[in-house]
Amino acid sequence: MRCLRKYGWKWSDPNMQPIDPEQIHRAYLKKRSRQHWAILATQLGLFVSFLVAWEWAARSGLINVLLFSHPTKIWTLFVQKLSDGSLLPHVGTTIAETAVGFVLGTLLGTLLATLIWWSPFLSKVLDPYLVIANSMPKVALGPLFIVGLGPGALSIIAMACAVSVIITTIVIYTSFKEVDPNFIKVVQTFGASKRQVFSVVVLPATIPTIVSTLKVNVGLSWIGVIVGEFLVSKEGLGYLIVYGFQVFNFTLVLVSLAVIAVLATVMYQMVAYLERKLTSQFK
Amino acid sequence: MGQLPATPAKIELRNVTHLYVTPTQAFTAVKGIDLRVEEGEFVCLVGPSGCGKTTLLSLIAGLEKPTAGHVLIDGEQVTGPTQKVGYMLQQDYLFNWRTIEDNVFLGLEIQGIRSKENRQYALHLLEEMGLADYRKAYPPQLSGGMRQRVALVRTLACQPEILLLDEPFSALDYQTKLKLEDLIVETLRRYNNKTAILVTHDLSEAVAMGDRLYILKRNPGQIRTEVKIPDQIRTSLPFQARKQEGFHALFEKVWMEMERSEHAAD
Repeated sequence: MRCLRKYGWKWSDPNMQPIDPEQIHRAYLKKRSRQHWAILATQLGLFVSFLVAWEWAARSGLINVLLFSHPTKIWTLFVQKLSDGSLLPHVGTTIAETAVGFVLGTLLGTLLATLIWWSPFLSKVLDPYLVIANSMPKVALGPLFIVGLGPGALSIIAMACAVSVIITTIVIYTSFKEVDPNFIKVVQTFGASKRQVFSVVVLPATIPTIVSTLKVNVGLSWIGVIVGEFLVSKEGLGYLIVYGFQVFNFTLVLVSLAVIAVLATVMYQMVAYLERKLTSQFK
Repeated sequence: MGQLPATPAKIELRNVTHLYVTPTQAFTAVKGIDLRVEEGEFVCLVGPSGCGKTTLLSLIAGLEKPTAGHVLIDGEQVTGPTQKVGYMLQQDYLFNWRTIEDNVFLGLEIQGIRSKENRQYALHLLEEMGLADYRKAYPPQLSGGMRQRVALVRTLACQPEILLLDEPFSALDYQTKLKLEDLIVETLRRYNNKTAILVTHDLSEAVAMGDRLYILKRNPGQIRTEVKIPDQIRTSLPFQARKQEGFHALFEKVWMEMERSEHAAD
């Protein structure tokens, strides 16, 4: 009986005390919260031990400090660049480029998806082009953007946009087509026009899909921007990475990487929050 | 059926044939259909699956144009969906992102008649169906029977003169279905002389609800026979109708016809 208690429930033996749902629920919650904390502690432990191992390996000469740096050195440089104001402009540039690229990519993708939903003819015509555009590694277009749009922020934004726009179009168009035709039939029996079918049924029904593509697009936009900055820029975190590499300052490269990791995560979480807000009533 | 009647029927199909064309074939869904439904009549279409029942509703609703023949409402050719016709599908197809109230206003919104008066009428219907408390709720919070009642209100809110019912009870449990049958017949009678066509594969439902039945056969869909329901069954509400004298005999008769029509098709 002791061992059964451990799991928060009992056999319904008439000789035992009556079942108390409250108590069972409490036991369940307790078990859940214990597991939650165990996971969190392990995650934190992994991170800290990685940093400690890195620091130790660098100081004991196991790895080359010039190439791999170490956490305290990275932190010192980060604080120094933050206080002398030379880091923030780079951060600002990259965030701005990513945000614009992300929004543009999503909007253009949705617009394109709407267009080909509207005209089945156009959708058939564009089909092979979309397949090619989707299989193509968009960053390979970098030189063309630079030649066409000049070596500046415009090319970088175009790159961020290009990386996400085609996949957005394909995913959203697919979900437009997957809307249950009976929902469309409902509004058609009321005499809805094509425009009304789109605005009353198809678009609202696909909002959850659109919002979940946003999450993917955040990651894609970061790829586009960083690669774009590798190629042309004079400012931005991608530029700092390339610059650090060229002057053999790998501590700077690692500072930039860490900042990118944090920013990309924050941006992803913001979109995930937006998703929860927007789609709560769709379930 | 040969002579021309003096007043046009509420709904009339004249020698209607409809084909669906696919890359592999042109499939005849219905062939040479002639039928008349008078104002205020409740007509049921029964037949084996694939006999073109839903096709006929789509044609009357103006969702599709017949390949040949004429579909007339009040003596006028149907060219597209009109406000006169309300359509109810097998399932409720309520929009999960809209409140019950906004679901009910859907037709008003699309037809551009979302006036205060019309909205009040819709809310009044909602109240009559016992759903007033759920105005601000979302569809997933409601049971299947409640949802189908909301769908009924959504259809009636536009005040159609003709109600097309495409197996609207088939997805419900038996008890809910019986209650909803009564509710629909009651509602139709209360709101002055609405005409209705019910498509169903449930013979007992057809006999209990209809004034008249058309039995169809398939491959291609054609009308096989017409059955008139005697007054004492016709005038009772569906639940009571099932207990009327002669109901069972009539059910047997329709059943035999259906059996024959099914074998005729094979």
